[in-house]
Amino acid sequence: MSVSTPEKATAATVEFRSLRREFGATVALDGLDLTVRPGEFLALLGPSGCGKTTALRMLAGFEHPDSGAVLVDGEDVTHVPAHRRDAGMVFQSYSLFPHLNAVDNVAFGLRMRKVRTAERRSRAAELLDLVGLGDKGERFPHQLSGGQQQRIALARALALRPRVLLLDEPLSALDAKVRLSLREEIRRLQQELGITTLFVTHDQEEALSIADRVAVMRAGQLEQCAEPAELYGRPATAFVAEFVGTMSRIPGTVKDGSVEVLGQRLPVDGPAPDTAEVDVLVRPEAVQVRADGAGTATVVATAFLGAVVRVTVRLADGTEAKADLPAHDAAELGAGSAVTVSLPERPVLVAERAQK
Amino acid sequence: MTATLTRADVASAASQKRRRRAPGWLAVVPLLAFTAVAFGLPAIAMLNGAFTVKDPTSGVSSYTGQNLTSSLQGPYLTALIGSVKLSAISAVIAALLGLPLAQAVVSSRSRALRDAVLTASGVLANFGGVPLAFAFVATLGNAGVLTVHLGLADHGWSLYSFWGLVLVYLYFLIPLMVLTITPALDGLRGQWREAARNNGATGVQYWRFVALPVLAPSLLGGLVLLFGSAFAAYATAAAMVGSAVPLATLQIADAISGNVLVGQENVALALSLDMVLVAGLVMAVYLPLQRRSARWLDA
Amino acid sequence: MARRLTPWRWAVLGLAALYFLIPMGASVLFTVDVPGQGITFDAYTQIVSADGFLSSLLLSLELAVATIAVVLLLMVPAVVALRLSAPKLRPVVEIVCSLPLVVPPIAFVAGIVTVLKWGPDHLSRTPLFETFVAVQNPAFPVVLVLAYVVMALPFVYRSLDAGLRAIDVRTLVEAARSCGASWPQALVRAVLPNLRGALLNASFLTLALVLGEFTVAQLLGFQPFAVWIYNVGGSQAQMSVAVSVLSLLVTWALLLALAGAGGRDRTASSRG
Repeated sequence: MSVSTPEKATAATVEFRSLRREFGATVALDGLDLTVRPGEFLALLGPSGCGKTTALRMLAGFEHPDSGAVLVDGEDVTHVPAHRRDAGMVFQSYSLFPHLNAVDNVAFGLRMRKVRTAERRSRAAELLDLVGLGDKGERFPHQLSGGQQQRIALARALALRPRVLLLDEPLSALDAKVRLSLREEIRRLQQELGITTLFVTHDQEEALSIADRVAVMRAGQLEQCAEPAELYGRPATAFVAEFVGTMSRIPGTVKDGSVEVLGQRLPVDGPAPDTAEVDVLVRPEAVQVRADGAGTATVVATAFLGAVVRVTVRLADGTEAKADLPAHDAAELGAGSAVTVSLPERPVLVAERAQK
Repeated sequence: MTATLTRADVASAASQKRRRRAPGWLAVVPLLAFTAVAFGLPAIAMLNGAFTVKDPTSGVSSYTGQNLTSSLQGPYLTALIGSVKLSAISAVIAALLGLPLAQAVVSSRSRALRDAVLTASGVLANFGGVPLAFAFVATLGNAGVLTVHLGLADHGWSLYSFWGLVLVYLYFLIPLMVLTITPALDGLRGQWREAARNNGATGVQYWRFVALPVLAPSLLGGLVLLFGSAFAAYATAAAMVGSAVPLATLQIADAISGNVLVGQENVALALSLDMVLVAGLVMAVYLPLQRRSARWLDA
Repeated sequence: MARRLTPWRWAVLGLAALYFLIPMGASVLFTVDVPGQGITFDAYTQIVSADGFLSSLLLSLELAVATIAVVLLLMVPAVVALRLSAPKLRPVVEIVCSLPLVVPPIAFVAGIVTVLKWGPDHLSRTPLFETFVAVQNPAFPVVLVLAYVVMALPFVYRSLDAGLRAIDVRTLVEAARSCGASWPQALVRAVLPNLRGALLNASFLTLALVLGEFTVAQLLGFQPFAVWIYNVGGSQAQMSVAVSVLSLLVTWALLLALAGAGGRDRTASSRG
């Protein structure tokens, strides 16, 4: 093993092939198929219990599929034990060894590989520099903040030059500010090293802002895997649409490939469902709200979000929708104001009418 | 009348100043006063006695270190060393056997097994003393069931010996170890095992480089606790071996109950002081270890 | 991983079960299978009528009740005060409550014997002498209660401290106070109910300690239960073993009852 400054690793491809895993009565993975490209930063996003962590742990070798296979660079690693997987992992929290200082934590893997002391210490020091903690090498975990601990965990995960980096909600135990800065740091490092990375999170904003592609999972299956902009703008399913970002449902009627909604006739984006009665899915920034004494909708509540004000309106049929308006436009819209709601002349997403 | 006035005063003062109340340390005073009498007096008496000799003819007492010197000589020294040896050996064996037992319970994930073993440990750790001695006498004593049925006496077995005592002491020391070490084993995080595996450690390497070092303070702490417990034990030994095995506790008891020469009471007090010093030393080792393990495992 | 460990685990548990169950089984066998008499339950039936059995058991129970009452009355206000308003005294109380661990019971009783000798030696003409006589009344030796309270301090402190750590006393008291409770009401109605598990645990440990205590009682010349078993052992081996087995079963039953009574607390805390 050569020791030098971290250079671009030869990035690996990761493939999940129809992975299936049941824990008693619950199905954690129900035929997951997913390919991660070399050097890609892929976020696995989904509600808790959707199987995203199970998938990651299968790649790390901590879980074993009932059926299906995990491939790294085309090589089946399904039966390779965890300690020979060549995948560095960062855990949610508290994963540093409490009896070792930062340097020894980072050097732990090298020690397991019987790398000489001097060599592994210098490599560990390099990695600590890489995560910006070169001066904290002698500190023990309990002397470090949560954010610092996670940086060291990151350095430890990179110490053996893994072909894949696995991040299991590494930011969820941190407070908001640290979370943001560490998120950027992880992204920077990943791009610098060009290492294939899987990042598990339940926070859609985190996933969209950091990843090359985001894989949304639900009930052990892949719903959609796409770049953040596409995921947000053209969600493949109603679940993705509502899980990623805020989405309002406004009832409409499909006729001849277009939909009638709010007195407008708009083209349907993608294949229309078989039923005529549908919900039109709209993002708050796409909803237009205008003060109108004769309007049939009323403002229910407003929430100031900084640049925009999120206005909740109740439509004539009782449906509630959310709209983001520039702060100065929303000034005159107090709760109870009568308004008119409209949508821009663009194709809209429709979904089967939700059961109320 | 006075009482009513006082209460009214307090009430009005309290309503004037909302935060004001009887100082909290008052609640601690009875405890401290009680310990000063019930514990302090005997402690002082022991210290005082350990350093005085009374001239048998004149009845005049004088301070001297002679008792302490005697307590570290002859049969007294033998007894003290016997106690230390018995306690150390029993504690080490109990710790070595208690750890895998506790690990078997913790790693089994069976709630029922865990509850059963911990409850049983709670009972057995308190099951010292006379009943324990008699149960073993009935089992492995000269007329004991196993001794008779297996003919152990022909193989030179005797319960009333050093190793017999060790065997009996383990009966309450192993459960004590299980109770002490279980929280520490619970504190070993799954992430540590997985992080170690992820860094290329085998199962053995995980235990060698992570689990045992992290457990070390708790293990040592438990060991020290077991030592102290065995060291202080008297009833079991008294009911079992009489004075066949020389132990400090038995020596002191003999001196107190007047089974030895008159005038030896103060040497017994000096021997008590020796025991306190050994036990104190043990606690001095234990507390810092306890603190370190709490820091590592409770975070 | 877990599957591979199983044989190892069963071996450990099996060996432990053997070691811990054999003396029990053998003891029972010893008491019912008397050489020359065959199977007989005499050892058990004779216990109740045995000389001194009831009186010594009763004495032990009385001592236990008195000890539990005194130790809780001393400790509960103290540890609650430590949490609420006197945290600076915490190290003091902690040390005081750990001291008995440093002094083995045999050393402690050696000190007590010495103190009790001061009575006849130095104080025979003062009113204090009456006190010395009173505390050594064989019908109810107060001196044993004093000693047992001291010996129970470490366990009771630990148990109560653990119980208090699990609840936020300050917030509880402040919440009760803001609902209009007086100080004593806040303690009795808000704090103590939340300490139920810890109080039961402390009581049980003290009970077990007093019922099994032998060293101090024997050397001071009193005859509570453990000393009685010891004395019976000399003459009636079968019966003494029978009583030993029973005393273990009783401890077991008490602990199970305690686990049942405090069961809700335990599960709540283990999930927290």
